[in-house]
Amino acid sequence: MTNTLKSICEQCVHLLNPQLDFIPEQPERHREIILRDLKELVSAASMEQSKTVVVLAGCIFEGVLYCFIQSQLAYIMLRRGGPFTFRPEHSLRNYVEIFNRYFSNVLSIPDLLVGYRDMVHINQELKYSPDHCRRAAEEMLRLLDRLLEKLAEYGTP
Amino acid sequence: MAHLAQFDVGAKQQEARIKALLEDLTQAYIGVRPESRLALAVWWGAKRYGVKEQHLLYLYEGIPLNGISSERVPLYWKTGSQDSPFVLMEATDVDWFSRLLTNDPHRVAQYWSNDDYEVLYFDKTLLNPDLLDKFGIMTEPPGLMKGWYVDEDKYGKSKNVADLLCFYRSFKPYFGFVKTEEKDFEHCRGILHLEISQKWVPFSPEGIQSYSYFNDLQNGRRVFFLFEGGALYEVLRFEVKTAPDYAGRFGLLRTQSDDQYPEVYLRAVRPPAQPSA
Repeated sequence: MTNTLKSICEQCVHLLNPQLDFIPEQPERHREIILRDLKELVSAASMEQSKTVVVLAGCIFEGVLYCFIQSQLAYIMLRRGGPFTFRPEHSLRNYVEIFNRYFSNVLSIPDLLVGYRDMVHINQELKYSPDHCRRAAEEMLRLLDRLLEKLAEYGTP
Repeated sequence: MAHLAQFDVGAKQQEARIKALLEDLTQAYIGVRPESRLALAVWWGAKRYGVKEQHLLYLYEGIPLNGISSERVPLYWKTGSQDSPFVLMEATDVDWFSRLLTNDPHRVAQYWSNDDYEVLYFDKTLLNPDLLDKFGIMTEPPGLMKGWYVDEDKYGKSKNVADLLCFYRSFKPYFGFVKTEEKDFEHCRGILHLEISQKWVPFSPEGIQSYSYFNDLQNGRRVFFLFEGGALYEVLRFEVKTAPDYAGRFGLLRTQSDDQYPEVYLRAVRPPAQPSA
């Protein structure tokens, strides 16, 4: 039996019913963008569109980490015992490094996720075997579901 | 003694603050010039020089600098301060530094002498193994084998290992594997690894469940692993093992909570088109 993207998505309760309390309510646009993209992700998965899933999941990872790190700047500075400058113009790789450094107790995000997101560029996709886009789509759905689950728990007192 | 304890806490706090400031400064140099990417940032000499002056070494990959340039900036540059403490920043390119390492090792020994240094940033794709080793940057445990997941369709169509290897070798490895037991020439087991923050670390029992090979096996599909050296194995099962000795015994770069590791059991196979001996 093979997993379809649709069946994987149906098991990902946090993609279907996202709790984004870890993102500050204001400004509203942040949550709106992530919710819109999640909706489109579920739709793409139900149509088995693996490349669309990879690209959209990458955008959502970036969006979620962007919002989460910004909401945790005071905590990061406390942990460092000194200043911390978040440079939002930096890449997803930078967001992942920051997250893994200060929140590895919540979850560790694998480096391959950045490679998957970079498959939006053809020269990057060529670095993987032809069946890899499909696998990346499956794994990104599960990884994103897990990230949303852990961050929802983190935001719950 | 109480006084001494207070002093230590104060010193630690000061060290943490200086480190945070230096990391903040280093962040400003990452990704600034695409033609010259920051490969390594080392804070060195803190014990030797004290708090008045900090020392940073930056290695870049890209345009050759053919020498070591230096610049002095105030530690509190962001506030507009021009006063001490200062940071002496030395910069060169990876190739130049590697050549110095070979031709004039005394010139560069100061950067790591007495273990008085700390790596603040590195990009292992831009550094050679000598430099990683010199600055004590461990990115993988000893004996790590890298490999690819070969699904049953691909396996079924394959004729020999050489062809499979030829196909996969040009692609990025998908996982790492550290052997924990070799029962005989046919069977072995070990711990699967993945890269987190540029280091190959073991999977957690929960983490492995996101990956295709794990799920495909649970769904009754045959799963094969091909390793860089050309070994081809079929995955028999995954089993979570509690092993407090594994981290030390196999030099793992991360210990899992509760010392639990999902071990994979493998059996050596040949491609179907290649008859058994």
